[in-house]
Amino acid sequence: MNAARLFACLCLPSLAWAQQPAEDDEFARLEPVLQRALAAAAPFVVTVETFGGTRRTLGADGPADGDGPPLPRPAPKAEPPPDDAPPPVPEDAEPEGERAGRRPRPPMVPEGFRQARGRTSGVVLTRDGWILVSRFALNFDPTTVLVTVPGRGTFHAQRAGEDTSRGIALVKIAADDLPVPTFVPPDEVRVGQWAFALGRTFAADEPTVHMGIVSARSRLFGRALQIDASTSPANYGGAVIDVRGRVLGIAVPLSPSGRNAGVEWYDSGIGFAVTIADIPGLLQRMQQGEVLQRGWLGVHLELAHLGPGAKVAGTPKDGLAARAGLRKGDVILEVDGVPVANGPHLQMLVGARMGGDAIRLVVAKRTGERVEIGPLRLFDAPWSEQAQSNDLPASFPLPEKPEGR
Amino acid sequence: MRACLLPLLATVLAAQADEPAEHVAAAEREPRTRIERTVHELLPSLVKVHGASGLATIGAYATGIVVSEQGHVLTLDQIMIQKGKTRVVLHDGSVHDAQLLPEEPRLGVRLLRIDPQQVQGGLRPLWPPAGDEGAFRTGQFVVSIGNAFRLAEFAEKMSATFGTVVGRANTALRHRLADVQYDGDLILTDACNNPGHQGGGLFTLDGRWIGLNLRLLDSKETNTMLSAAIPTRDLLPYLEQHVLGRTRPETVVERVPAWTGIVLFEQAGRESPPAYVERVVPGSPAAELGLRPDDLIVRIDDWSVRTCREFRDVLARCAAGQVVKLVWKRGTRVLDGELRLGEPPK
Repeated sequence: MNAARLFACLCLPSLAWAQQPAEDDEFARLEPVLQRALAAAAPFVVTVETFGGTRRTLGADGPADGDGPPLPRPAPKAEPPPDDAPPPVPEDAEPEGERAGRRPRPPMVPEGFRQARGRTSGVVLTRDGWILVSRFALNFDPTTVLVTVPGRGTFHAQRAGEDTSRGIALVKIAADDLPVPTFVPPDEVRVGQWAFALGRTFAADEPTVHMGIVSARSRLFGRALQIDASTSPANYGGAVIDVRGRVLGIAVPLSPSGRNAGVEWYDSGIGFAVTIADIPGLLQRMQQGEVLQRGWLGVHLELAHLGPGAKVAGTPKDGLAARAGLRKGDVILEVDGVPVANGPHLQMLVGARMGGDAIRLVVAKRTGERVEIGPLRLFDAPWSEQAQSNDLPASFPLPEKPEGR
Repeated sequence: MRACLLPLLATVLAAQADEPAEHVAAAEREPRTRIERTVHELLPSLVKVHGASGLATIGAYATGIVVSEQGHVLTLDQIMIQKGKTRVVLHDGSVHDAQLLPEEPRLGVRLLRIDPQQVQGGLRPLWPPAGDEGAFRTGQFVVSIGNAFRLAEFAEKMSATFGTVVGRANTALRHRLADVQYDGDLILTDACNNPGHQGGGLFTLDGRWIGLNLRLLDSKETNTMLSAAIPTRDLLPYLEQHVLGRTRPETVVERVPAWTGIVLFEQAGRESPPAYVERVVPGSPAAELGLRPDDLIVRIDDWSVRTCREFRDVLARCAAGQVVKLVWKRGTRVLDGELRLGEPPK
């Protein structure tokens, strides 16, 4: 009996202690952290508005969904510059000549998909006015893009380059001393850390925020973080930030299916955040107006070949591999000194590259000889990352004429 | 599946399966976490509302909030609410016939009234709200409580979802949301408003009532689904009138249609083009402000003007004599100025 009483005396307090919550108010502690991060990041999250333009379609010049002819726009008349006018800058619509010399910008949204035309978000990249936006914002090929920087006013934005493999685009506004973000170095990012997705679409004076965590680090060939905060056009182009208000990436509509601008994953708990600021070279190329694409080697692989190396099943005749002399039956053994384990490994190695990047291959020819090829400059992928040809799922019609307005 | 019906949030289910009698003590254990405490304290003030009939897509159930000891229950006005057929199920499982009070058409809400004599132990009204009248801010954590998908029956506890205040949708953007009659600011949240959740409450972590849940909304702005709530402070005039019998004098202003003197460049077509100015009537308000042909109108006050149609829509909401902030683009410059709206010339 005494033993039992002793047992009770010893154990009951510890049981009672165990009943106490270890951490009672974690939410109450997190709330001010989120508030501080929000305050730190809010200044560089901007609103992007677009005007005009048409829905683009794949492989045709007409409007994508039978909405009548491309929108008319009055030809800008020459006007005498007012006395206080800044030096003349080219009109917002790009001149035809300039346009003709450029590579076409592949559409992000395929035929049949009707995109809402709301505001989207952007992030200030440099003090002197380079703004990262989502390609989603430019899908209509708008004639006018306006960027509103909180507390600084609305600016006309000039379009520069795009990165179709990341779903982002760069625009330039004529402003100085803009608030700029700090980017989190990619190798510091940890799965499970908080990730808050900011946008600035519903009210100009304050950002929107969705809360989540980093779900995975390396997605889409290392280009994106995966997060579970809701992403949708409401925050595409906006900043995904950590608890200190530093930028983990830009929220973009991507999906492995590469279709419909990620619409099937709106608010699904699967979102993507990409960076470009920390990748040497890419930013300069975009500033010069280049449209960056995924690199393309141009080989079909033999699935039955389990390695080592990746066995070529065919080479499309307009591809780089065909031009470099690769033929059916050859086995690619190395890419830039990295031994290729198998076909999927080759896809990972090449998929991470951009068009124009140099690549060196070591190939075991069908004849048995081992040859080094390269350096070669990867071609641009002939398909768009975001729009695959005829493989179209359901469209999401949006009433053009909302009732009750 | 783009709707947020997916379990995209940590759904804290306050609802517990109806425990057999011998386990009641265990089920009613003391709440431990902040959210559990908040939900525990709030649940007695929330009721299940059952209507006579729903539609194929809308069930005949919703949630309501007790707002007075005299039996007033606030809920969203909806098709299922019918005279003599609407019933309210209290926290203790007791069922009460509800009498319908006049709805508030602007907000799309309605008060129900049950007989307080029939309620054992008295009602636990949430109103009047704490001193700050339901203030909220972006990034604030919230708990939303409602009878999602009618999961809770009888005395079962309703569901609580957790999220943040995503942001505020001002009037100018709200008009792009489908099926909302309400004309003021909305609280956007990522605490999910599943069907049945509507009419329930949105609360801060410490249990302050900040909003009345709307149905899951379609945003024309972004082609996405949104959860939103009417801010509590906007409900106060209606509640004061019908619960306290206090009325605020309504000012009826006769509105004269607004006129700017801007003639837009517009061609017939299915899609309205951007609002380029074709000409400006001399001597008009727009001429005074200095607008010229080929200027692109981009905003009126907070309202985005992306097309000629939107320009007309926004102006239709304005009245002569009103001063609006007009933003327009000329070449690559963005200009703005105050435009005093005039009366159309006779």
